[in-house]
Amino acid sequence: MKILSIRELRKSFGNFEAVKGVSFSVEKGESFSLLGPNGAGKSTIINMMSGLYPPTLGSIEINGINVIKNPKQAQKMIGVVPQEIALYEALSAKENLKFWGRMYNLSGKELEKSVDEVLEIIGLTERAKDKIKTFSGGMKRRVNIGAAILHQPEMLIMDEPTVGIDPQSRNHILDTVKRLNDEGMTIIYTSHYMEEVEYLCERIGIIDHGELIALGTLRELREMIGDRSRVIVTMDKGYSNQVEMKNLLESVVTEKDILIKDHQLTVFHKEPQLILSDIIQLVTSNGKRITSVEIIEPNLESVFLHLTGRSLRD
Amino acid sequence: MMASIWVAWKDLLIVIRDKHAFLTLIAMPLLLIAILGAAFGDMMDGDEDVTIKKFTLGVVNLDKGQLGKVLSEEVFMNELSDQIQVKYYQEEELYKKIKDHKLEVGIVIDEDFTASLMTGEQAQAKLITVPDSGIKATIVTTVIEQFAQTIPIKAMSENLAQPVQASPSSDESSQELLHETAIDSTTKPVSSFQYYAAAMGVMFLLMTVVQGVSTMILEKEHEVFKRLLVSNLTYLNYLTGKMIGLIVISLTQAFVIIIGTKVLFGVEWGNSISGIVVMTFAFVISACGLGVLAGSFIKTEKAFNAAGMLGTQIFAALGGSMAPLYIFPDWFVSAAKILPNGLALQTYLDLMSGATLSEIIPAVLGSVALGIFFFAIGLVRLSTERRGKYA
Repeated sequence: MKILSIRELRKSFGNFEAVKGVSFSVEKGESFSLLGPNGAGKSTIINMMSGLYPPTLGSIEINGINVIKNPKQAQKMIGVVPQEIALYEALSAKENLKFWGRMYNLSGKELEKSVDEVLEIIGLTERAKDKIKTFSGGMKRRVNIGAAILHQPEMLIMDEPTVGIDPQSRNHILDTVKRLNDEGMTIIYTSHYMEEVEYLCERIGIIDHGELIALGTLRELREMIGDRSRVIVTMDKGYSNQVEMKNLLESVVTEKDILIKDHQLTVFHKEPQLILSDIIQLVTSNGKRITSVEIIEPNLESVFLHLTGRSLRD
Repeated sequence: MMASIWVAWKDLLIVIRDKHAFLTLIAMPLLLIAILGAAFGDMMDGDEDVTIKKFTLGVVNLDKGQLGKVLSEEVFMNELSDQIQVKYYQEEELYKKIKDHKLEVGIVIDEDFTASLMTGEQAQAKLITVPDSGIKATIVTTVIEQFAQTIPIKAMSENLAQPVQASPSSDESSQELLHETAIDSTTKPVSSFQYYAAAMGVMFLLMTVVQGVSTMILEKEHEVFKRLLVSNLTYLNYLTGKMIGLIVISLTQAFVIIIGTKVLFGVEWGNSISGIVVMTFAFVISACGLGVLAGSFIKTEKAFNAAGMLGTQIFAALGGSMAPLYIFPDWFVSAAKILPNGLALQTYLDLMSGATLSEIIPAVLGSVALGIFFFAIGLVRLSTERRGKYA
């Protein structure tokens, strides 16, 4: 059963088209990710899904409710974790959670119970009475998530919830999200960290320049690049004739599997060990000095690179 | 409605925990009132050992003869032009000006003024003043007494047509010449401390509103606002909550100023406690409405802080918080009432002078109406603002 249905979504700001006809749907209980570099249009889509502003064209439905026509009704079913910390620094973790719970009409014992449960989930029961301004970045992020799940939403929308935090806090957050999903909560997760997306999400939509350029499970996306690994050869910074080098390499691999950017050569291949020595020989014969060679197993980064010619973190 | 109250409660908690803001809210106004009250006291008190600045004398000349004109034009207008400015009024208008404290001293020259002076009968002139008008009334009284003593002598020496009776003694003449009337026995003069307590109080309330709105804009700039909008909170709930928070904070400050100045400096805020409370509510509503309106239009805290502080100073100056209103022309004083703080200050001064609650009702209604009007525009603005905003 579909919990989220987006059709032909478009959003323009003046002459700038931030989202260009995006369509996808998410099943109840699914964990779905929107992956894309900064500025790809992920946050704009999230904001429209959350009912913060209407699209220029297209439709969004959450549990069959039209978000554009009835944003407040739809918002009752969702929890949103914004990209930045959306908390009051002068208030304690518990006071913040109580405040946000009240904003979802929770009160009395129901509110107390919910706040205690959330503090337990985010692992901050011991620090409940401490002010947010005394917390580390990771702890703030955990409270930021806690504030979005107090009213037990059916769908949790998370906009890059792990930006700028330490690995320990990141792992805690990822485990929390995984647990919430296992308990039946639908997760919409945006990130430009492919490792997180690979760990959390069953289905992934890749966004670039406001367009959905790929959609599928991790396996399906890997198959788009033929399950090929990447051979990354980094060369010294002297002059190199890229056209000539590409022509030479075409004797080993096809043109569409070669990517040369700055002083880095990327070659996609199913069995990289077989072509590695040939590549090194061709590069050195072209007068270039190799500084490093790396072989990377197929992942989402490879898919994005293959589809756009750019890295996710570009 | 509950959501609005929780928004207000949260804002109050944040203010209470901000020691710097709390100190500014409570201690600063009292300190400034004390400093300004002491520094500018002489401007208001009419103390007799200070230099008297030029003042306006209201004149109603009903005299059928020439001496009324001579007194007002030759004596007051020409010979005393460095000290006195003469303005002519109708009798009713003069009473009203003095009652409204727009004029401190006036004289009504009776139609038989010339005749009675020339014949030595009881002279007919009325000196009308606010109570305790100080040295200004004394100057006018002395001038008229001198005039009354001189004219019969001149008339004799110049052999004027009218026969002159024996001149009464100067003491008798001065006793009988002037019938001094203090307008409205319940109207009291406003001292410097009273004036600056009201003026600074009003200015600080404006500043508190600016500070409150500044935090509102800061909230709008950050993701908390987005999170609030995604919750069950509506724009109306949000603005109402902000308004309630601002009203509570401003009222707290207002009552600290009123009670503090009364206890520490003995400032009298008038006999109508209900009038003071109601006007304070009304002013806070109009000031907060104005603040919320500004907050809904201005997008960045930085821009608001610059505009807010400048705006407060301009409003304070135009509304009479910087310099006493009485030094400005009448039209300016009336025009200042369109500003929430100008209206509030003038109403506080009326209350200090003895006005009752019923007398200030028009000002209260005007103030509340202004606040609601500003709030409504702010609400419309806020609900349309985010539609074109880029994520």
